[in-house]
Amino acid sequence: MKIQRQLSSLAIGIIYLATFSFPAFSQENPKLSDAEVASVAVVANQIDINYAELAKEKSRNKEILKFAETMANDHKAVIGQAAALVKKLGVTPKDNVVSQQLLADAEKTKSTLSSKNGKDFDKAYIDNEVAYHKAVISAVEGLLIPETENAELKALLQNILPALRTHLSHAEMVQKQF
Amino acid sequence: MNSLWIILRNSMYLLFSMFLLNSCSSASEKTEPKVHTVEIKEMKFQPAEISVQKGDTIVWINKDFVAHDVTEETTHAWSSSVIPNGGSWSMAVTESADYFCTIHQVMKGKIVVEE
Repeated sequence: MKIQRQLSSLAIGIIYLATFSFPAFSQENPKLSDAEVASVAVVANQIDINYAELAKEKSRNKEILKFAETMANDHKAVIGQAAALVKKLGVTPKDNVVSQQLLADAEKTKSTLSSKNGKDFDKAYIDNEVAYHKAVISAVEGLLIPETENAELKALLQNILPALRTHLSHAEMVQKQF
Repeated sequence: MNSLWIILRNSMYLLFSMFLLNSCSSASEKTEPKVHTVEIKEMKFQPAEISVQKGDTIVWINKDFVAHDVTEETTHAWSSSVIPNGGSWSMAVTESADYFCTIHQVMKGKIVVEE
């Protein structure tokens, strides 16, 4: 019964993350400028780096640690690409409602993850990675790419999709162990 | 009659020499190792499966913006070090193998050595 309740909570949590991590995406898409799209892209990547750093601090599981290392390195590489492009384009990423909501939700998730230890943490971390990557892929495809006007920024967003999909498949593979 | 015999004999020598030369040339073509390329792009090994002769070399070129590696899947019998963005790694092939990227474990490839 307890496990059933936990699963129900988890299912609700995943649905919450997938639907509300990008709040505007679930209802009416906001109009974002390219500078705001760049900000959302950087913030979304930085959030997953922060989750990875937390996992590296708290987990002792080899697969979780390896996955977290990959997430940290890959998302840093994406930020590096984005930073180089906005510099080239002379655009300064601009804070906006989507990036603010992302950060607020990430703080809550990080707080929940921080309260867990051992296998509970590992499971919560990898479950969150699956849900977060699903939400980010949906947002990049359905919100950020359509909103972007600059062709190079649009191409960058399209180029990161294969990596995000690979991260999701990898996370789902690790998730099966828990 | 004697000169006709000499011409015939020399012609035979010439034909035999040409046959030998041709045989050597064919043998050398068969064993000449080739270099094949596998591109790593969009988080995939492209082509995912490659057929080669024993002794051929495969060069993996990383065209993604993230680092990858190339590692034999079953026992990790061989492995590249980390291949950064824009980097490459090559290996002379001795046997068929399934391989993968240990950094992104869902990325897989296959080498088939043709007999």
